[in-house]
Amino acid sequence: AQDYSLKLHHFLSERSPAHQQMLVPWAERVEELTEGRVDIEVYPSMTLGGRPPELVQQARDGVVDLIWTLNGYTPGLFPRTEVFELPTVFVNDPTAANLAMREMFDEYLAEEYKGLQVMFLQAHAGNALHMVDADLRSPADLEGLKLRTPSRTGAWVIEALGASPVAMPVPELPQALSKKVVEGALIPWEIIPALQLQEQTDYQIEGPDMSRFGTSIFQVSMNKDVWESLPADIQDAFLQASNEEWLTEVGGIWRGADDFGINMATEAGNTHVVLSDDEYAAFEGPMNGVVDRWIEEANGAGLDGNSLVEAARAAIASHAE
Amino acid sequence: MRIFALGRKVIDGWALMGGLVLAVIVLVNVWTTVGSLIGLPFAGDVELTEMMVAAAAFMFLPFCQLHRHNVTADIFTSNMNPRFVSLLNGIASLVALGFAALLLWRMTYGMLDTKEYNYSSTILSVPLWWPYVPILVSLALLFIAAVITTAEDLFGAS
Amino acid sequence: MEPITLGLIGLAVLIGLIALRMPIAYSMIIVGAVGTVSISGYKILFSQLKTLGYGQFSIYDLTVVPMFVLMGALATKTGLSRDLFRAANAWFGWMRGGTAMAAIAACAGFGAVCGSSLATASTMGKVALPELERYNYSPALATGSVAAGGVLGILIPPSVILVIYAVLVEANIVTMFMAALIPGLLAVALFIATIAIYVRLVPGSGPAHGASDKAEFWAATRGVIPVLVVFGIVIGGIYAGLYNPTPAAAIGVFAVFVYGLIRKQMNFETMAASIKETAGTTGMIYLILLGAELLKIFMSRAGVPQAAADIAVNSGLSPMMIMMILLLALVLLGCLMDSMSMILLVLPFFWPVLVAMNGGDYQMAEGSGYGMSTLDLKVWFGILALVVVELGLITPPVGMNVFVISAMAKNVPMLTTFKGVMPFFASELVRVALLIAFPALTLGLPALLGN
Ligand code: NA
Ligand code: NA
Repeated sequence: AQDYSLKLHHFLSERSPAHQQMLVPWAERVEELTEGRVDIEVYPSMTLGGRPPELVQQARDGVVDLIWTLNGYTPGLFPRTEVFELPTVFVNDPTAANLAMREMFDEYLAEEYKGLQVMFLQAHAGNALHMVDADLRSPADLEGLKLRTPSRTGAWVIEALGASPVAMPVPELPQALSKKVVEGALIPWEIIPALQLQEQTDYQIEGPDMSRFGTSIFQVSMNKDVWESLPADIQDAFLQASNEEWLTEVGGIWRGADDFGINMATEAGNTHVVLSDDEYAAFEGPMNGVVDRWIEEANGAGLDGNSLVEAARAAIASHAE
Repeated sequence: MRIFALGRKVIDGWALMGGLVLAVIVLVNVWTTVGSLIGLPFAGDVELTEMMVAAAAFMFLPFCQLHRHNVTADIFTSNMNPRFVSLLNGIASLVALGFAALLLWRMTYGMLDTKEYNYSSTILSVPLWWPYVPILVSLALLFIAAVITTAEDLFGAS
Repeated sequence: MEPITLGLIGLAVLIGLIALRMPIAYSMIIVGAVGTVSISGYKILFSQLKTLGYGQFSIYDLTVVPMFVLMGALATKTGLSRDLFRAANAWFGWMRGGTAMAAIAACAGFGAVCGSSLATASTMGKVALPELERYNYSPALATGSVAAGGVLGILIPPSVILVIYAVLVEANIVTMFMAALIPGLLAVALFIATIAIYVRLVPGSGPAHGASDKAEFWAATRGVIPVLVVFGIVIGGIYAGLYNPTPAAAIGVFAVFVYGLIRKQMNFETMAASIKETAGTTGMIYLILLGAELLKIFMSRAGVPQAAADIAVNSGLSPMMIMMILLLALVLLGCLMDSMSMILLVLPFFWPVLVAMNGGDYQMAEGSGYGMSTLDLKVWFGILALVVVELGLITPPVGMNVFVISAMAKNVPMLTTFKGVMPFFASELVRVALLIAFPALTLGLPALLGN
């Protein structure tokens, strides 16, 4: 029989890859490892109430036991983890980012997750450019264009490349693209199927070897009191369900969803542009400027921005294939 | 009562200030749209609109209570003894009073959490506890509005 | 306890509270809060209340609501309604029943800049009722046509209820506004036809009067230009994709305000009155929204929506039967609640049922329960639900539009007004049947303008 019945709350629909391929399988791993003593019910689409930015607070307060959320929904709460969103820190490998965040967690990141027991942090496959009709090869081609930004650091990337960031809710993006309210968007390929972006855009652009322009970080976290109330063997099961092998699998799941998205676009006749090394080099200067801006802001907030960037780069490099 | 008259004035004035907040939202959006059409886009309009509409909507709640804008279905009670109807209205006002107190208490903690954890807006990094300030004032005024309507309903005060 | 039992108890208590004059918003808050506490304990409710209010009040897609309310409130102060009626009367007045037709047309015009039925009914009532009386229209036809015309405020975009619907089911607001246009114009045509038939069946109820001379005809017709401009800027701009709904609504507010300045109708008093009207309506809507979210939390924790969908799927009833039952439930609830509360209350339960009947969230047209993709079903059902909940505005016992018009036409008994709207109610039933039989009436325009 189940001794522990937990609720996992998140913001995407039950048909999303995150729900079907990651969260439900993870819950099943926990259930198997505890031989059915733990039962995790996954509630998609904010069915337990509130808006996505409230998820972190819901986990902290025990409104729900577990959450999956996008760190970017609550800017300001996870300033250290944000280093992994930065372009040139995150390059092209979600698995390496996942493992690097695990490696750095205790020493560098843990203190900003007060009231939470983090199960795992994960990145998506990376932001890339979706353009309505701009077949661009250099930052100069972006000059003066309007792009939908995915996050705070994403807005900085867009600014650094000479374009203007525009904030808008995701569901409004297809309409905005089709009427050229924005000329493009900075988001991963994985969003393409959900929004049918192949219909509004002609060009999907990324760097060589799947190099991207930054990423977004997600967390699965448990309420701290709930965690501490669990017996050691159950806690162990959660840790094992979320171990490095799982982080690698999660990286693969998101890579797979991303590949599925770009295939859908190319099959619909879109052009998948892979920048050459030389072309991509022209993007790196501005993107390093974003990192400098981030370091400066982090230092201003009393963090050691430099060492966070260096540690993150080193950790990602050590886990890269 | 004189004190009630003052309360009414403050509540009406507070709603008018909520209207001013709406006017600012209108201007921000007009400015953003025109700016975007002439090549001067501004990315903070979405988050500013969200914050200010939330504040304005809370600022309207005391007015709504005071002037009884909350919809009721009065068909079943329309032929009842007026004193019984007043009693029912009084109970509804007491519910509003309890709700205002509960939400004022809970949202004070909401503001403290928002401040402590440094919740802020995405693009402009505006601290999200700022809109809580007019919201908490609004809830205090909602409490006062409910006191006034309770007195009207149960004791015929005006 | 079984989820469905809990849900039914909650619904019964909710209806009881509403019948006892508890405001609908507070009835929802009480049932949602007490229900959540009874299932999950008070700590969860108290914790969630720290941020739930801010979260609900700051939903970006809903920010158009206060904008459209303010736009409508300002529009009532600018003399737009008088100009519209004058123009419509110049076009239709020479016919039998023509002035009543003019009232309908003017309501439709006003609905193009106003998102609410009540505001449309009361604004046009002020202008049209005295004229209808002057031309010796029967009280039933006079009050009935203005009360019925009021519903055009919500059927012609912009429409506040449609915004709420779109937010609840995560539909695109722009698509919903496109879908509403043809059904809205259909309502205008059917209402005008209803009047034409009525005045033939009841002689003397709507006497014709002389046609206006050419100069007056053109002078009056020029009066519709401001409305066309505002509608073009706001809804046209949205349809064309120039901007999203919130900026569009803001531009609309600005445009109406400037027009009011030009007409010298904007001063401190009219602006303060507009803000107070906006405050009353917006506060009411947002409080209901919070109540509905609390109710949703209770029902989700009890597992009601899922259980309701399972029951529907396993009932053996056809998808169309289920649709009819849901629409009928809306008509019945309309006896008790206003349309906003109804939409907020029932959608979290009705929508999962329809999705399940259709074959799931990502169902395409082929092999689906309703012969259309779930994406289209969202749009189609939204318009059907909109029409049906608006019927509640003109049916007894609670017919808000009828109340508003009765309050204005003091010498006409309310029963007469209810009798007067009955022919329009019948024409609405015809329209619902048409919209159900021909989904293309609803889905055609979004498909055409969408890509
Ligand atoms: Na309208
Ligand atoms: Na009714």
